[in-house]
Amino acid sequence: MDVLAYIWLGIQAVFLGPEAFSILGIPVSITVMMVLCGFLFGIVVGATPGLAGPFAMAISLPILISIFGYSPDALLPVMGFLIGIMKGATIGGAVPAILFNTPGTPDAFMTTLDGFPMAQKGQAKKALRVAHFSSASGDTFSDIVLFVCAPFLAIIVEAYLDLPEKTGLLILSLSFIAAVIGGSAGKGLISIGLGLLAVYVGTGEDFYPRLSLGADGLSRGFPITTAVLGVLIIGAVFKELEEAWRNTQRTTPVQAPVESGDQNLHWADIKRLFPFIARSAFIGTAIGALPGVGSTLAATLGYTVGRARHQKIRAADAPRFGEGAPEGIAATEAANSAVSGANLIPVLSLGIPGNAAAVFLILAAESIGGFNPGPAVFRFSPDVVNPELVIAFGLFTCMTIANLFNWTIGGVFMRSMGFMINIPKTLLLPAVLLLTLTAIYVQETRIEAIWFALGFGVLGYFMRVLGISPLPFVIAFILGRSLEETARQAYSATGNDPFFLLNNPIALIFVLMSVAVILFAGRKPKGTAP
Amino acid sequence: MTGQSRSNLYLGLFCIAFACVLMFIWIPLDTKTGIVVKARGKYNIGDGLAPTVAAVFVLLGGLLMLLERNATEQSVIRKNQLKFVASLTLVIIAGFTIMRFAGPVAVELTKLFRAEPLEYRLLRATAGWKHIGFILGGTFMISGLIAVVERKLTRRAILTGIIAVLVLIAAFDLPFDDLLLPPNGDV
Repeated sequence: MDVLAYIWLGIQAVFLGPEAFSILGIPVSITVMMVLCGFLFGIVVGATPGLAGPFAMAISLPILISIFGYSPDALLPVMGFLIGIMKGATIGGAVPAILFNTPGTPDAFMTTLDGFPMAQKGQAKKALRVAHFSSASGDTFSDIVLFVCAPFLAIIVEAYLDLPEKTGLLILSLSFIAAVIGGSAGKGLISIGLGLLAVYVGTGEDFYPRLSLGADGLSRGFPITTAVLGVLIIGAVFKELEEAWRNTQRTTPVQAPVESGDQNLHWADIKRLFPFIARSAFIGTAIGALPGVGSTLAATLGYTVGRARHQKIRAADAPRFGEGAPEGIAATEAANSAVSGANLIPVLSLGIPGNAAAVFLILAAESIGGFNPGPAVFRFSPDVVNPELVIAFGLFTCMTIANLFNWTIGGVFMRSMGFMINIPKTLLLPAVLLLTLTAIYVQETRIEAIWFALGFGVLGYFMRVLGISPLPFVIAFILGRSLEETARQAYSATGNDPFFLLNNPIALIFVLMSVAVILFAGRKPKGTAP
Repeated sequence: MTGQSRSNLYLGLFCIAFACVLMFIWIPLDTKTGIVVKARGKYNIGDGLAPTVAAVFVLLGGLLMLLERNATEQSVIRKNQLKFVASLTLVIIAGFTIMRFAGPVAVELTKLFRAEPLEYRLLRATAGWKHIGFILGGTFMISGLIAVVERKLTRRAILTGIIAVLVLIAAFDLPFDDLLLPPNGDV
């Protein structure tokens, strides 16, 4: 089978899969509906300060798996829903940032700088339109790069990298993630080390489950959901609750600013904004393709580059960046949205999750089975159909559908979400906490899982307090077993050579790059993690 | 949360000490095959190697933190944060303890007034009985957490707890026969 045949099969898997309902005899696929539901849910969550895409993914996953089961047929509806959330939350985050000067998601912080001044001038709806247009443009560009690059990268990895090199690549990825996430390589390494340690508890090849302290509860290891949801979600809820506890809570409902003047986005506006969008989309995509580098950095970089350009070409009467320039919103939103698609390049081509959304996609794939993100997915077998490749092209189709929803109904829906600011965090977050713990329990059905998740939650909280990003921990937890397994296989394949990493030129380069990236990042501490 | 502190130094020292405990005490004593294992005349990778690599990451991180000991902005764990997170944890533990035992206790109380034998384990799939623990424990947990954050217990907090618990039952329990709400997988 050739490439086009696989692409066609992927599209068919989405559109001709199980039917949700039919309109005038035309069947509507359940996967398409799930992408739509996920997308709308993502906008709602993104527009709610204190929540973010990963929260929604975490609480949805067990419900989705309960609905669709563990068969390969469940992969596309479940992952389509998660992809919808990922995209919806990105544009939803701009709503409270523009209307109320409160970023709905961390990467929307830079949007407040120009969005809120525009809203104060009565241009709220126009600012939201600029944000939506820029976000959808950046996201679409990023997805196209993903569709093209992920298969090529995977093919190159499969063709040129053997087991020692793959081991070296995993070490390089972990080192890179430690170095770039947060502000300190030292804290990144600690986070990675703790994540690896946690995944190795209760596992191993010997009959005795290692590091289990002889305890029955630890002998089965920590379930992945307890570690991921504990550190990422429960830790974040604790931190948000602490902030709500320290701050005086708003008691009166917040009103959207009054609008005045023309709120439409005209062709002339688009022409003026386009260079800023294009530049930021490129920056966001390039940054997103690197595992671990988040959308917040992309937004900051896009904004900074946009501001430098704007200062040179700005008309005398046009507002500067920070004073309500639409170009500022465009530069930020295009950059942070362009990260989401590109972030899936390392997941799909290398099996290395680069951000929290990718972590949940891997979690979904692991829970359901039948799809293991990594270079082996893109094996274009001519004689026998590679079902994983069909799923991969199905996921690309889901992303395209989500983009279509984004372009068509996303703007209208996001502009109606301003009221979400009035939902008090103090009431919402405890409910999210019980929801998360319940979701863990229904998957694991043992109370130990709750205690593990709570323990990881406390760890995640203190990591945040100390400025240690929890994302390297989660990524290390996910990659830990693969690292050990690949190293064992490489050791055997090289005739029990203990120096297999050093005797293989490419593996050696990866190891040296790992050392270099840590030394380079460790040279200049940059303060606390965001 | 930031200021002139020595938290990087303390974090670094703690991580170095923890890594040493891992490498020299925990891993050797709690793995059967060590870093390498000899089998059929060949040396193979043992179960101790991977955790040792993890410990090396922690050790390197700790050493780098020592180099960053004079960084201008250093995060600090404050006493009130410890108290706050301890309060949250206690409320959650209490909530799940109520959840775990409320159903069986209700059955024991009912047995006092009924002649027929009752056992919670046999009732954990029966509507009503299976929800007692989740409703009481869940409501306690949510309203308790809200009370900790808002520094007072209000009717709004209790109402939020009840509504959230009912929504969760509607989401997880009513549509799916195969899902078990806590604590029904353990009793």
